[in-house]
Amino acid sequence: MLTLIKREIRDHVVYFFAAVIFSSILISISLTPISESRQHYRAVYGLGVALTITAIVISGFFAMGVGQMYTDKNRKISAFLSTLPVSRSRILIARIVTGTLAILTLIVPQLIVTIILLRLYAPPVPVYSGFIAEVFAGIFLTAFACYCIGLQAGWSSSSIVPAMGGFGLTCILVSLILIKGFGLHIIVILILFIIASLIRIRHLFTSTPL
Amino acid sequence: MDENVIKVENLVKYFDGRCVLDGINFDVPQGCIYGLLGRNGAGKTTIIRILLGLEPATRGETSLLGRKSTRLPAKIRGQIGCVAEGHNLIQNYKVSRLIKLCKDLSLNWNDGAFDHLMETFRLPRDRRVRDLSMGMRAQLNLSLAMAIDPELLILDDPTLGLDTVARRQFLELAIDIIQQQGRTILFCSHILSDVERIAERIGILAAGKLVVDCSLEELKTRVKKLRIIFPEYPPEDLYLTEIINRQIQGREMAITVANWNRQKQAILETFKPSSCTEVPMSLEDIFIECTRPDSEPIEAA
Repeated sequence: MLTLIKREIRDHVVYFFAAVIFSSILISISLTPISESRQHYRAVYGLGVALTITAIVISGFFAMGVGQMYTDKNRKISAFLSTLPVSRSRILIARIVTGTLAILTLIVPQLIVTIILLRLYAPPVPVYSGFIAEVFAGIFLTAFACYCIGLQAGWSSSSIVPAMGGFGLTCILVSLILIKGFGLHIIVILILFIIASLIRIRHLFTSTPL
Repeated sequence: MDENVIKVENLVKYFDGRCVLDGINFDVPQGCIYGLLGRNGAGKTTIIRILLGLEPATRGETSLLGRKSTRLPAKIRGQIGCVAEGHNLIQNYKVSRLIKLCKDLSLNWNDGAFDHLMETFRLPRDRRVRDLSMGMRAQLNLSLAMAIDPELLILDDPTLGLDTVARRQFLELAIDIIQQQGRTILFCSHILSDVERIAERIGILAAGKLVVDCSLEELKTRVKKLRIIFPEYPPEDLYLTEIINRQIQGREMAITVANWNRQKQAILETFKPSSCTEVPMSLEDIFIECTRPDSEPIEAA
């Protein structure tokens, strides 16, 4: 399994580099004090950052899912690996683990910085104890759900139309979160969505001729 | 474990409503070299893909080393060496990286045997797979398949793209494997002389059916081509069963007949032919006769 995960990471290392770069940018933004003169732009500034993050999370992880599956299909990687002592389920698990690691590469440094900042400086508005966990769990699950849709679109699409359908579904999912906000209810919806997606991907991946 | 390493039972496969395999049955016992022959599009590669679990069957069952093809565990896959048609290796990898991947994933890797093959074929390790010639890719694929000391070797047109010397090297290598007790080989090829050289048992696919399934020796004894000259025009019907092919030209009739025996000879003699001579047949001749659109399947003797 470790060999398969290493292979996936090496083949899709560009996504890890992108995650590291983006994570560094986010951390820099978090650490940059907003000047006094721009205080009243704080809300606009915050919204801008939130929308940028959202767009990158949607397109980045959706693209990663599509990229992993499309490359596999195009280069017949699974067809070759299946002639070795490897089952299709293990190939898929290795792929999903790699995707999860890429998401964590983006989120974990940001989480650590946020926790440190909250310890050092009191937040302007009081927050409840589970706030950080809920927000980061929500971000992780959103990214993972987008990634799952990407996996499905990349494997089942040979034309642009189903891929765009997948991208549309991702946008709807993220809009739902933007409207409803993070919370337990969204976490439950995302978990259910991810379980359904994973079942569908497994079925697609293991039943399609290689 | 069942002594049949490969089992194919009533295998049916449709592609877009077109029947490619129509009730195929055959077994390959342990240690046997089975040559599967057929024209382009006859379904040889489809059988191999179904056997390896890469393609689902429409109906029927196949198994390898006693396990169903649809559920081959890693342990069983680790005992099967495979050379696929077109050599579907990961094209953008460097040869050294591909070797490392296969080595890390294999359950049994024979470094000595693999290095020997790499040296024999003079394969570069620092080039990308896509930069290798077709022949070199075939050699690399063969080397990777052989390096795991396979219990079962599945070769789908392995010599495609190899030059004469490399083809000879491969065949000698295959014979080496055969000499290691218990190794089984399923060998598909268009080059009939290769199959004739190493196969013990032959299966011929034509029009979705397995028209021949017997040992090479038996096939050569059972199938006879006769050139018969009659004093006048040849009769409309010879009342012989299992005539695979018949051609008439003037007073001469050429027939290819399966399961030739004394009884059939006696029936033929009732027509009082002027002469009847046997035409020697190579595997290629038999193959051509069996794969003619109007030929009849050869049933078991």
